[in-house]
Amino acid sequence: MRAIIASEWLKARTVRSHWVLLIIAVAFPLVISTLVGIFNPEPKFMSYRELGSMTTGTGVVSLLLLTSLWVINLTSEFTHGTIRVTYAAVPARWKIIVSKAVVGTAVTLVVMTVLFWTTFGVGALLLDRRGAPIIVDGWLSHTMGVWVGLVALAVIVSWFGLSLGVIIKNSPVAIVIVLLWPLIIENLIALALTLSGIETAHKWMPYQAAIQTVDNNPGLDGTLGRPWAHLYFAAFVLVILAVGVGVDRRRDA
Amino acid sequence: MISVEGLTKRFGTKLAIDDLSFEVQPGRVTGFLGPNGSGKSTTMRCMVDLDRPQAGIVRFSGRRYQDIVDPVTSIGALLDASYVHPGRSARHHLEWLAISNHLDRTRVSEVLELVGLTEVAHRRVKTYSLGMKQRLGLAATMLGDPEVIILDEPANGLDPEGIRWMRDMLKYLAGQGRAVLVSSHQLSEIALMAEDLVVIGRGRLIAQEPARDFIARHTTTRVRVRSPQINDLVENLREQGADIRPAGETLATDGALVTGFNMAAVGELAHQQGVVLHELSEVTDSLEDAFLAVTKDDQEYRSGSSS
Repeated sequence: MRAIIASEWLKARTVRSHWVLLIIAVAFPLVISTLVGIFNPEPKFMSYRELGSMTTGTGVVSLLLLTSLWVINLTSEFTHGTIRVTYAAVPARWKIIVSKAVVGTAVTLVVMTVLFWTTFGVGALLLDRRGAPIIVDGWLSHTMGVWVGLVALAVIVSWFGLSLGVIIKNSPVAIVIVLLWPLIIENLIALALTLSGIETAHKWMPYQAAIQTVDNNPGLDGTLGRPWAHLYFAAFVLVILAVGVGVDRRRDA
Repeated sequence: MISVEGLTKRFGTKLAIDDLSFEVQPGRVTGFLGPNGSGKSTTMRCMVDLDRPQAGIVRFSGRRYQDIVDPVTSIGALLDASYVHPGRSARHHLEWLAISNHLDRTRVSEVLELVGLTEVAHRRVKTYSLGMKQRLGLAATMLGDPEVIILDEPANGLDPEGIRWMRDMLKYLAGQGRAVLVSSHQLSEIALMAEDLVVIGRGRLIAQEPARDFIARHTTTRVRVRSPQINDLVENLREQGADIRPAGETLATDGALVTGFNMAAVGELAHQQGVVLHELSEVTDSLEDAFLAVTKDDQEYRSGSSS
């Protein structure tokens, strides 16, 4: 299994378009944080909570870009036919999917952590010099919580993208579904359930439940609260992943 | 040895492979022939566990493909040279393949040297010609020094030098005791390298036998004879029961094609008759003629009349 993971790691880092996506994902929140730090007209109203929320907001864009990378890393194998070379080399197809998930998880953990603390750090440095109350009591525990929530969400969403990629095998369609799932698909499902009498349906939409708890305190009204929202979303995604692996095992490559 | 037993593959309502069984022996190049859509590529994909057949089993020296640990080291398969990520370099393509099967990376340099791609190994594959991709595909096939080699149309896109190189390489590999199964539409190439043939049509086995036997069984050998006294000789041959046709427009200028007598018999008859011969040669039909004769009822896609 270690050999297959090493092989997948080499595959992921030897395609230029993957690096382009990664650089954009890292650069975007850094640029926003720098601009806010320099040009915010009222820095004294910018606390560590607001800076954490901003870092999370831009971090969600980054995690979606990273997820797109992991979707493409898989679906491009179907597009270019390399999946046939891959599966001929490793007939146990689930090992390939799991190896891709391991590589995606490791890179996402590292990148999102570096990205989060760099973004927060740059913002904090610039705003602190302009008198913003960033490094005050409670900032570290709050920010650590936001960091954990964002990184966990990023990892689960990357699995979600991988799961859809296995099932759909088409890069644009899988990426569009990953992006639209929390915005449209879950809202439509929740609306349909609400109209049929389930008033708490919105709370149980897995992707939205996880997003809502990233930078909020656990147990806010109307949300599942952390860590349950993340665990719930992770369980949902793992079911989708298991379905994907099952479908992939039976069909022609 | 490769053993295919009762392989059946259906795509929806279309039966692509129908209870197909054949064997490929080690130490020999086996040509895998069939008209377009006859199921050659599907068979090869089923052999390496990419397509899931409804019935049948394929064994490599008694083992199923999915049971072989690090299959790249036992079976090298080139199914399509374009199955490479265009944004990745040839070296990286071979490296991930090597790593996945516990092969040393030094082997990558060896096979790149073997196929003549060392100088361009760092270039992204999208800059490669089809012939270069074929060479890369063969390098991937040889990466694990396998005992079985399966190639689907490996000569596509190769220049004449490349085709000869490929042919010599496959014969050399078979000479080392490997089982080599190669499909191709270039029947002249198959005729030059294959010792055995597996011929299929509409997913069914039509023939499996040594290439020489296949050609002999499905073609007619004729004797071409030219002589200033051709009419006398033809008359005599006809009396002996030979079938005669003009070799060209006229007997006098182009000579005759004799069926039913071998070259020695025609020569002896001419000698007995005192007829001077200007040409006496054997005309044998090609593998292409034999193939077309055998598969004439199994052509799924036919060209329209050119007239």
